[in-house]
Amino acid sequence: MSDPDWNEVKEQLLSMALKRGADVACVGDPDLLADAAPGQRPIDLLPQTRSMIVLAGSAPRAGEWHSPRSEVMETVGTADRMTALGSSLARHIEESLGYYAMNVPTATDADDRAFLDFRAAAVAAGVGGPSLAGPVLHPEHGFLYLTVVLTSLPLAPDGPLEQRACPAPSCVEMFDTTRRTPCTAVCPIDEGGCLGGEISEGLVIGRRYDEARCRDRVYHYWVPGYQAALERALSEDDAERRKMILYGSFFTRTMWSITYSNVSQGQCFECMRVCPVGSEGRALK
Amino acid sequence: MASHETGPVAGTGQGEAPTDTGDAGGSSTQEAVTEGIKHMALRSGATVVGIAAASAFNEYVPAGHRPTDFLPGARSVVVAGSLGPTNAAWQSPNRRLMEITGYDFRENVASLVVAEYIERHHGYLAMQAPALPTSGQHPPMSMMLAAVLAGLGTRSIAANIILNPTYGLLYYAAAITTMPLTPDHQMEENVCPARSCVKMYEMEGRTPCMAVCPADDGGCIDATITEGQITSSYFNRERCSTRAMNFGIRGHIKQVEMLVNASDIAERKALLYSDDFCRNLAAVGRYKESVAQCFECMRVCPVGRYRRKLK
Repeated sequence: MSDPDWNEVKEQLLSMALKRGADVACVGDPDLLADAAPGQRPIDLLPQTRSMIVLAGSAPRAGEWHSPRSEVMETVGTADRMTALGSSLARHIEESLGYYAMNVPTATDADDRAFLDFRAAAVAAGVGGPSLAGPVLHPEHGFLYLTVVLTSLPLAPDGPLEQRACPAPSCVEMFDTTRRTPCTAVCPIDEGGCLGGEISEGLVIGRRYDEARCRDRVYHYWVPGYQAALERALSEDDAERRKMILYGSFFTRTMWSITYSNVSQGQCFECMRVCPVGSEGRALK
Repeated sequence: MASHETGPVAGTGQGEAPTDTGDAGGSSTQEAVTEGIKHMALRSGATVVGIAAASAFNEYVPAGHRPTDFLPGARSVVVAGSLGPTNAAWQSPNRRLMEITGYDFRENVASLVVAEYIERHHGYLAMQAPALPTSGQHPPMSMMLAAVLAGLGTRSIAANIILNPTYGLLYYAAAITTMPLTPDHQMEENVCPARSCVKMYEMEGRTPCMAVCPADDGGCIDATITEGQITSSYFNRERCSTRAMNFGIRGHIKQVEMLVNASDIAERKALLYSDDFCRNLAAVGRYKESVAQCFECMRVCPVGRYRRKLK
């Protein structure tokens, strides 16, 4: 039996993903991640891997970006919708086409390491390019959540993109006059923030990023918040104060964000709020 | 006859059943309606679906665990089964990946869709059967028994897991309804032991699952097979559950107990920020991604194994 038309297969799979809610769907060459640390290469997860399908979407809605209540944005950031879509696509590939497919878990492996570098996979697939702020930016949509499906299907890769969305022309202009971009201005690493870097000849150079600090803010109410609050409660000798910690808003919110992780994973979006890439889509009537 | 998915699953949304007569009266009409409901379950993500008569439970479980205890007047139980890890996950050399398999609970979706469909389109009461433990570790209603009674599989030597003859390990959920549906027959032959397991047992005195997890050597499984049939079986549930359910709610409860009892601040801190603690919390929060962490008896089980070989 002759092989199917792989371009047609790819077209059908990506169309299905787009129809079911992805904003962007692209295929990447897994060999582009061959230099990742052993254990974090696609073939370490699935030896038969020949393609990576990267799906991106479920960014906060325009209305949420515009809400004056910070609590709204703190409880809408989630990759779970993309994760569910990836699982569904992987199932479809196995059950309908007879090829191996795996939606890479979004949870972490040992030592809190990711199973796969989703951002590297997204860049390889052409879903977007790296940014000064950190997230992969799609030229039109900007910030999006990601999921990666590894498969033994031999699909032609789309990426990487030839041109990065970051820095945007307006950011280059701002840097030339103020030595800052919107993201480094809103979260400056030398003033208690997480981001720093320069732009030279339209390119980001010398990027600085305080990952630990950023993580502490983005995942304020999630697992790290729960650990911190529990540590304080257990170290507190006074029974009344201990009770206040355990029944207080902070601890309660950490529990909500853990158990309702499908609606609350990240709590800081400020570098993306000021990013011009994709901002047109956030401006509605 | 219990049904299973034979073609591509086009989507997980509700499709229209081919036959929907709106009333279950008359045997041929009832059969057509039953087929329509099965079709709906398959369209909604189930890999297999079968029907059990609600009264069939009475013979096997005490009062308090029967369908009529949860829905007075219940007459039928629609049981949906779906695959757990993808075939690619079974292939992964990273064992930790199988611990976080991206399990998608499609059988739960299917049973919910079926219950909603029955209420909206047929006007009978219907609900999802309660399967999560509410007291101790026992569920109010056994999904394993439901699967057996609906003709979807039989109990195996390997941790009593219900093996479907086509797919092997499946996860099950059910909808209970007051609607009269045509029940499926229980399987007449046991799926376990498979022929190759009987042969291995005759030569070595153990099956693949007993060999990989032997009860007398720190494992969980033991059995005797006579003339191709299981004549006795032993399963160490406590030991198995601490291995298969290592991360998640139970693991977290255990760690909280350790934390409360730890008197040394440094010791407490080390436990709180350990890899294990983080993984437990992640498993609690993303329960879908981490239902079980040991699949070894099923990895070596020949039933349905050929289906795990893809291109």
